[in-house]
Amino acid sequence: MANYFNTLPLREQLAELGKCRFMHLDEFTEGVDALKGKKIVVIGCGAQGLNQGLNLRDSGLDVSYTLRAEAIEQQRQSWKNATSNGFTVGTYEELLPTADVVLNLTPDKQHTSVVNTIMPLMKHGACLSYSHGFNIVEEGMQIRDDITVIMVAPKCPGSEVRAEYVRGFGVPTLIAVHEDNDPNGEGLALAKAYAVGTGGHKAGVLMSSFIAEVKSDLMGEQTILCGMLQTGSLLCFDKMIEEGIDAGYASKLIQYGWETTTEALKYGGVTNMMDRLSNPAKIRAFDLAEQMKDIMRPLYWKHQDDIMTGTFSSGMMDDWANDDAKLLGWRADTAETAFEKTPAGDVEISEQEYFDNGILMVAMVKAGVELAFETMTAAGIIADSAYYESLHETPLIANTIARKKLYEMNATISDTAEYGCYLYNHACVPLLGEFIKGISTDVIGKGLDLSDTGVDNARLIEVNAAIRSHPVEAIGGVLRGYMADMKQII
Amino acid sequence: MHVIRLDAVSVDFDGRFQLSDINWVIEPGQHWLVTGTNGSGKSALVAALAGMGERMSGTWSGVPERVALVSYEQQAELIEAELRKDDADILDVISEGTPVGEIIDAGCQDRDLANELVDTLGLRPMIDRAFRKLSTGETRKVMLVRALTSQPDLLVLDEPFDGLDGDSLAWLQDHLRVLATTVPMVIVLNRFDEIPEFITHVAYVDDGHLAHRVERSDEASMADLYQLLHLKTSDLEVPQADPADRLPALNPSDPLVRITDATIRYDENTVFEHLDWTIETNQHWQLSGPNGSGKTGLLSLITGDHPQCYVNDIFVFGFQRGTGESIWQIKQYIGYVSTALQWEYRVGTGLRNVIISGFFDSIGLYSKSTDMQKAIADEWLALLGMSERADEPFSGLSFGDRRLVLIARAMVKHPPLLILDEPCLGLDDMNRQLVLALIERICASNETAVLYVNHRPQDAIRGIDNHLTLSGESAS
Ligand SMILES: NC(=O)c1ccc[n+]([C@@H]2O[C@H](COP(=O)([O-])OP(=O)(O)OC[C@H]3O[C@@H](n4cnc5c(N)ncnc54)[C@H](OP(=O)(O)O)[C@@H]3O)[C@@H](O)[C@H]2O)c1
Ligand SMILES: [Mg+2]
Repeated sequence: MANYFNTLPLREQLAELGKCRFMHLDEFTEGVDALKGKKIVVIGCGAQGLNQGLNLRDSGLDVSYTLRAEAIEQQRQSWKNATSNGFTVGTYEELLPTADVVLNLTPDKQHTSVVNTIMPLMKHGACLSYSHGFNIVEEGMQIRDDITVIMVAPKCPGSEVRAEYVRGFGVPTLIAVHEDNDPNGEGLALAKAYAVGTGGHKAGVLMSSFIAEVKSDLMGEQTILCGMLQTGSLLCFDKMIEEGIDAGYASKLIQYGWETTTEALKYGGVTNMMDRLSNPAKIRAFDLAEQMKDIMRPLYWKHQDDIMTGTFSSGMMDDWANDDAKLLGWRADTAETAFEKTPAGDVEISEQEYFDNGILMVAMVKAGVELAFETMTAAGIIADSAYYESLHETPLIANTIARKKLYEMNATISDTAEYGCYLYNHACVPLLGEFIKGISTDVIGKGLDLSDTGVDNARLIEVNAAIRSHPVEAIGGVLRGYMADMKQII
Repeated sequence: MHVIRLDAVSVDFDGRFQLSDINWVIEPGQHWLVTGTNGSGKSALVAALAGMGERMSGTWSGVPERVALVSYEQQAELIEAELRKDDADILDVISEGTPVGEIIDAGCQDRDLANELVDTLGLRPMIDRAFRKLSTGETRKVMLVRALTSQPDLLVLDEPFDGLDGDSLAWLQDHLRVLATTVPMVIVLNRFDEIPEFITHVAYVDDGHLAHRVERSDEASMADLYQLLHLKTSDLEVPQADPADRLPALNPSDPLVRITDATIRYDENTVFEHLDWTIETNQHWQLSGPNGSGKTGLLSLITGDHPQCYVNDIFVFGFQRGTGESIWQIKQYIGYVSTALQWEYRVGTGLRNVIISGFFDSIGLYSKSTDMQKAIADEWLALLGMSERADEPFSGLSFGDRRLVLIARAMVKHPPLLILDEPCLGLDDMNRQLVLALIERICASNETAVLYVNHRPQDAIRGIDNHLTLSGESAS
């Protein structure tokens, strides 16, 4: 199998990458009709499989589960998930031949073997759906011509997919139709109905392509979302320890600092996050971010290039073939870092103190968000998509660090994201080494000595203008506006 | 003055009304406000202090000899006595009855004050007229003059401000404030906006019991008390449903809910099995049973929140479950309140939006609301006595207030079925009464079937006459 993206001519590559449109609620008036009365069979009952299935059933659809034979025989967790929730569970042979729509919700690295096994069992004209396009785009999986291939990818962990549905809402969702596999022209109708069934339409649906989803998803998760937060955590912690800051305090400032500072992004983007700083601190953060952007820009380009050329995925697939040796090794290394091993101290840190004493962290978030966004859009990914995969998801990932540090983050994200995160971290830590040497506790750990809060007016105006005029702020304003229309409560 | 102490006191009023188990301590320097709904016994309680009624049991100590009382009952008694005098004189010349001046003089200890009061309250022109010929307002003023000039050791005033014109009212309030520095007072008032400054404590009377005693400085308890009184006394109606948002009609010959031979089972553990239950339109049910007997599970079979609703034979609101209906089609017919919902309802949005979210069965509000929906939500807030707080964040409310708002949220669309899963759980006594008062108003004023989970006999709701008890031994 060849990397599908690489088989396309440049013109088509760019066209696919540029596919992304925010869909309005009134485009979903047909609800779940396109799936009504159809037999939906989900393969795998893990985080996405179980929770998407619960939502689809509660939306009035016919959902059952098929698991690999071992999982049924051994009554594994996936079998328990499905049966204890009152779903019918059957083998591939029992359920697939009569299925109208098959949702492949197994781990990405199993997709090739799973799809090769199930395809011969699928009936003529059925639909196969993914929640991530890696298998199609990076592995070039070829699906039988008569089968419709779609993607419905919630931009959230499975538990959120369910929790938001139960509240009467949903999570932002990306849908796509694989143009090579839409024999009856019904792909879009099915994908829309599926997004309605999971509640995604209420939170916002992006109509995109398999390629745009994969290339932007990989880029976002490797760089700003997971990589930058991991690198930032390790560097900031070690710096504070070196400068004699109490280890418990340093640990807490970082563990909860990402969540607290990026919460401001949800409401008003980078501008609002920066506005939470005092004027002198804002100017410092701005300057630090500019320096880091210059240092890290080649790294962001390299990640995007490796994703585009398929170098990243082929490297990772080698590791799959090697029993995940690298992934597991890096995972173990992360567990041994000083930050990971130092519990958060029992100290009170106010919401504002996370900003005041975490100027460098704020600068890292700003630099990472802007660089990832700039790099993605320069590569032809449309701004809406780049926004979701950078700024929008940052607070969601930051929440996981607040729960249980890097361990929790890496446990929650996919293996693909985790692998890419480590790659980034290994390159970025040495890259920022010199820069970090010049840093002291005024921007991480203690805060500026603000006996004089005066700033130069002209400089402040210049900095504010630069923050506000970044293109991620423009698209962010528009998309958050749509979201706020639909979701008055965050 | 001594400490006045009533211990487990019961008082009978002509067999018509009883105060029972009253425990009350009035310390020197305290001034009490007594409040409660009409007929709760608040007037009886203060009258008992003034020696009225027949003391049946309990111990009294420290009640002073000279207690001056102004009340409608006592006013009525005096007028009746005057009328009786008239009857007695029937053989003689027609009597005019006792003149006002004489009535005031009897028991007067301070002639100067009496003169001042007669002038200030505008009684001078009628000083020679027969007392019984006065209007109600004038009689009331005479009663006040008598009480204020009697140099009492305890002054008991039952609705003293009622029916007074503006000038007299202002004067009386001023006068009481001065008097308060020397004479302890117990005042009955139905309205909280008139509480005089000097009041230090508030007593709340309910059904012949002294239900709550609150210190004026305890702002949180005062607010609860205010709300309780508001809910019990305001004549606001339960707001109507949104006429533009009618639920799809149900077939009147179908029951609301029919559960046949139901089972809930986790792994090997059967919570219940072979359970049959039918809820007809307008039937009120109480559901009880020990912890773990599956009460909440049974309810969530109805609401669609339990995944095993798809493997049981459940008919709800015209839908046989598992035949292509969505849970939102089910939920639109149900109002639901439980402690669990309250935990899940962690949103920063304002109270009005929380109530409006009931129209959409959502936790949080994700749809644009209409002006009508906002207006209805505001009516509910008025009923709850929370009009001024419409935009306050829900998360900032007290536990009990959040429960009240969630009940309003559940009722806002007038669902055919209101499910209250232990709505009083976790509430203190005052908040329980608040919640029960609200539920009683709902039960009394519309056509919703109420399904009430409750163990505590004290929390029973009038009008619920069907009972289902889960035994907890895996059978019903
Ligand atoms: N996690 C997220 O945040 C997220 C978000 C959006 C999209 N997605 C996408 O959703 C899909 C599923 O991810 P997930 O996080 O839900 O995975 P998961 O929790 O790991 O669940 C995978 C399920 O697949 C089954 N499975 C594993 N290997 C299999 C094999 N060889 N053959 C058949 N079944 C197998 C597992 O059951 P047994 O091992 O018991 O058979 C398990 O039930 C992926 O494409 C992922 O990219 C994930
Ligand atoms: Mg992603």
